[in-house]
Amino acid sequence: MTYTSPLYLFAFFPLVLAAYYFCPQRHRSKVLLLASYIFFYSISGKLLIYLLLSTLLIHHGGLWLGYCKAEGERELLASQDKKALKAVYARKRRRILWLSIGFQLGILLVLKYSNFFVKNINDILHIFSFKEVVPAMHFVVPIGISFYTLQAVSYLVDVYYDKIKPDDNLERLALYLAFFPTLMEGPICRYNQTADSLYIGKPLDYKNLTYGLQRVLWGLFKKLMIADRLNPLVDNIFSTPGNYSGITIIIGAVLYTFQLYADFSGCIDMTIGTGEIFGVIVPENFRQPFFAKNASEFWRRWHITLGTWLKDYVFYPISLTKFGKKLGKKSRERFGKHLGQVLSSALPLFGVWLANGFWHGTGWHYIFFGMYYLVIILLENLLEPWVVTVTNALHMNREGIPYRVFQTIKLLIIVFTGELFFNAGNLTLGFQMFASIFTGFNWSVLTDGSLLKLGVSIQDFYAAFFGLLTVLIVGVIHERGVSIRDEISAWRMPARFAFLYAAILVVLIFGAYGEGYLPVKLIYAGF
Amino acid sequence: MEQLFEILNGINPGIDYETETKLIDGGLLDSFSILSLIPELEEAFDIEITPGEMIPANFNSADAIWSMITRLKEE
Repeated sequence: MTYTSPLYLFAFFPLVLAAYYFCPQRHRSKVLLLASYIFFYSISGKLLIYLLLSTLLIHHGGLWLGYCKAEGERELLASQDKKALKAVYARKRRRILWLSIGFQLGILLVLKYSNFFVKNINDILHIFSFKEVVPAMHFVVPIGISFYTLQAVSYLVDVYYDKIKPDDNLERLALYLAFFPTLMEGPICRYNQTADSLYIGKPLDYKNLTYGLQRVLWGLFKKLMIADRLNPLVDNIFSTPGNYSGITIIIGAVLYTFQLYADFSGCIDMTIGTGEIFGVIVPENFRQPFFAKNASEFWRRWHITLGTWLKDYVFYPISLTKFGKKLGKKSRERFGKHLGQVLSSALPLFGVWLANGFWHGTGWHYIFFGMYYLVIILLENLLEPWVVTVTNALHMNREGIPYRVFQTIKLLIIVFTGELFFNAGNLTLGFQMFASIFTGFNWSVLTDGSLLKLGVSIQDFYAAFFGLLTVLIVGVIHERGVSIRDEISAWRMPARFAFLYAAILVVLIFGAYGEGYLPVKLIYAGF
Repeated sequence: MEQLFEILNGINPGIDYETETKLIDGGLLDSFSILSLIPELEEAFDIEITPGEMIPANFNSADAIWSMITRLKEE
């Protein structure tokens, strides 16, 4: 069962909604929790035990941190040496935090990464003529573990820093980790964003229902009109890259990027819409990323919740270690304000991009993907004053259309290249595909009809193009701060219903589903 | 407070720190500026700023930063 399967759309979700509606308010959170566990079980079966274990461990870890803090405060009242006692309890709490985080990350590392580590250890030992020293381990990875583990860690760290109080209500905490629309592809929610509103069990209301369903429909549009339409072509090029070169590889990278965006942001639309129906505000994960001016801004608009998670729980903690602060100070003293700032940010940014690459999967091409963006973002920051000087000397308006077009083209090349390596089966294939762009470049591919032999028809291209154009227009409107759903809700009822029926018909008629179509699996659910 | 304004102007000049209330939310101070600001604040006011303090509410205005400094000095 996935968010676009008929079983989910026409049976599971309506049943959950009905049960939620007819249940007394105090039991609605139980309906959502039970539905979440059924959803999880339908995909990962008995691996549900890992989610339950993570829930129990953060519940216990949070309470332990809270108990330790309360005990410290009590003893502090009677203590003579308050400073020493504070230090004792700070150390104690730090140990509890690391132990609790260790359990969470340990489960993730063993289940998701052990095979990667074993393979690399064996590869290294192979150089010294040892063969298969460490036996391969194959674990089945539960759905959403990369997402709910980050939520669990954020809860523990936020309790440690007193941003939130430890929750003694196991049901609320369990629902925070397991809420079914967020299980497959996130977004990565924080405890103070969703836990309370999920637990309250708000009554369904007309506005939330209509706004939520419209958002779900928009997500389905992106998924069925773009991601699934383009899937045969993208799958063909990336599964047999040796058969293609030049422009075909470029087209593969470009269309994969759009497919990924449509798939991931479409799924997030469905998640946010479902949340809205239940009166829960799930955080946004995308904000027109292709309208960014540079790679740093792109990552503030793409997979926002992962970016902010990495900023809060990797970037700042590394920056604010004694070593990080000392490095920052020395760099600024030695190299001046700008260069010092860039150099001092290199260490925490390395942590961020290593974690970003590693989080996405177990392959060196993912780590390369992270390091690729690390280098680009450091260069962007380093060259910023130089760009200002040069553009001023050339009397170029950095806010003018020509310069914005240049920035967009530069960003698109960066993003398409990154996604080429990201989706290549491994790093060697990534480099081979990249090199083949230049070695086998031939314009005739565009006119000799070979693009139509890649698994998609001209009708598929038209449908995907119409879908992408619609996404672009909606993006422009959103970028101007206009809420399309607010606009629609102000229309007269006949116009409103006509528009919605038309939107549903477009998805039903032009969406890629049924026989002859192999829908792309929710891409980020694999991470 | 005057010392705080001096530090802020040294990090990122050209902002009206007396009235601005969206230093973070408005993108006026980014992560890199904050990284430069932290050691300056720690040294000037003899405080220790932990990752737990790194929330927009603590850095959105000079008043908010000052409140954080005052609170950390008391702890």
